[in-house]
Amino acid sequence: MLTEYLNKMKGTTKSPPAVSLSEIIWSWVGAFLGISAVAAISYNLLDRTGLTLIIGSFGASAVLIYGAVKSPLAQPRNLLGGHFCSAIIGVASFQLLHPYMWLAAALAVATAIAFMHATRTLHPPGGATALIAVIGGQSVHKLGYLYAIIPTAAGASIMLAIALLVNNIPRNRRYPEFWL
Amino acid sequence: MDEKRDREDLPLEIEVSDEDIYEAMKDIQGYLDITPADLKELYKLAYRHAFSRITTSVRAKDIMTAKVFSVKKTMPIQEVADVMAAQGISGVPVLDDNGKVAGVISEKDFLSSMGAKDKTHFMGVVAECLKGGCVALPIRRKKAEDLMSSPPVTVSEETTVTEIARLFAEKNINRVPVTDREGNLRGIVSRGDIVHAASFK
Repeated sequence: MLTEYLNKMKGTTKSPPAVSLSEIIWSWVGAFLGISAVAAISYNLLDRTGLTLIIGSFGASAVLIYGAVKSPLAQPRNLLGGHFCSAIIGVASFQLLHPYMWLAAALAVATAIAFMHATRTLHPPGGATALIAVIGGQSVHKLGYLYAIIPTAAGASIMLAIALLVNNIPRNRRYPEFWL
Repeated sequence: MDEKRDREDLPLEIEVSDEDIYEAMKDIQGYLDITPADLKELYKLAYRHAFSRITTSVRAKDIMTAKVFSVKKTMPIQEVADVMAAQGISGVPVLDDNGKVAGVISEKDFLSSMGAKDKTHFMGVVAECLKGGCVALPIRRKKAEDLMSSPPVTVSEETTVTEIARLFAEKNINRVPVTDREGNLRGIVSRGDIVHAASFK
């Protein structure tokens, strides 16, 4: 039984094939423009108001919505729903449990995953969005539930708009696969 | 679906290799976040679903040949052979005076009535012929009703493909007339029709 258990760790299949050069280039272009948009607005317009439009988890979202556009995890429902729900769960975890930061952090991420599963909005960067709500420091904590709107939902929406514009330019690429 | 299958029955599964799956993934532009093994598993399951959907939802009326040749049971056997040869068919329903299906005549019925030792194989008849005279001659005076398999195995228009495939295997037959409630001939289903029904369109 132990060998059977250990044998599972060897893996059974191989990595999916590499993508074409055009896929690599369009992934780069999409990610560059998507992050440019939120970062430029954030640093040039919002900085002086004390708000921000960019959080670390957007880097992970960019991998999905510009680099794996067919993935169910990368679809608009998952992008927006995953980030928004996870942000609320993260803020709630921090506000309820901030005397126990380790617990708030763990609960935020675990609950976010469970909630995204249950609502068919699984989006891996959502886990980071929930975690950032807890470990993001003063600037994040003082936003309270606004964190779910700005930066999270607003930033994700802008990234989505760029994905719609860029991913549909190449003939053999399309986005999204589905909305709801 | 575990009845005996022979080569003309539907394939329960198509052998798809890991390389086929990998090549198919390469054919699709863009990154698929699924492993080749999962994709193969999906393919197999989907095929199985399609198989059971087709075999349980497709009925005789969907796949039968409606324009079917038939012979009267009083027809001389020589004319029956002419009809079968001219139409290129290996079996034909036999109708009684009221136009109801009374039996089926197939190549097998010809062979087994020709007194060959190995009665159901063409080469057995050839072997007998070579030993002494044509074994077909003794039956030339006979009529369709003398040779036909009777009572006939028939199905209704609503019989499922699964049921028909089982009949083919059980009765070791290659075609079955489709009749209405009164026994009037509506069409015929052959093994080939079933294979066509199972192929993706």
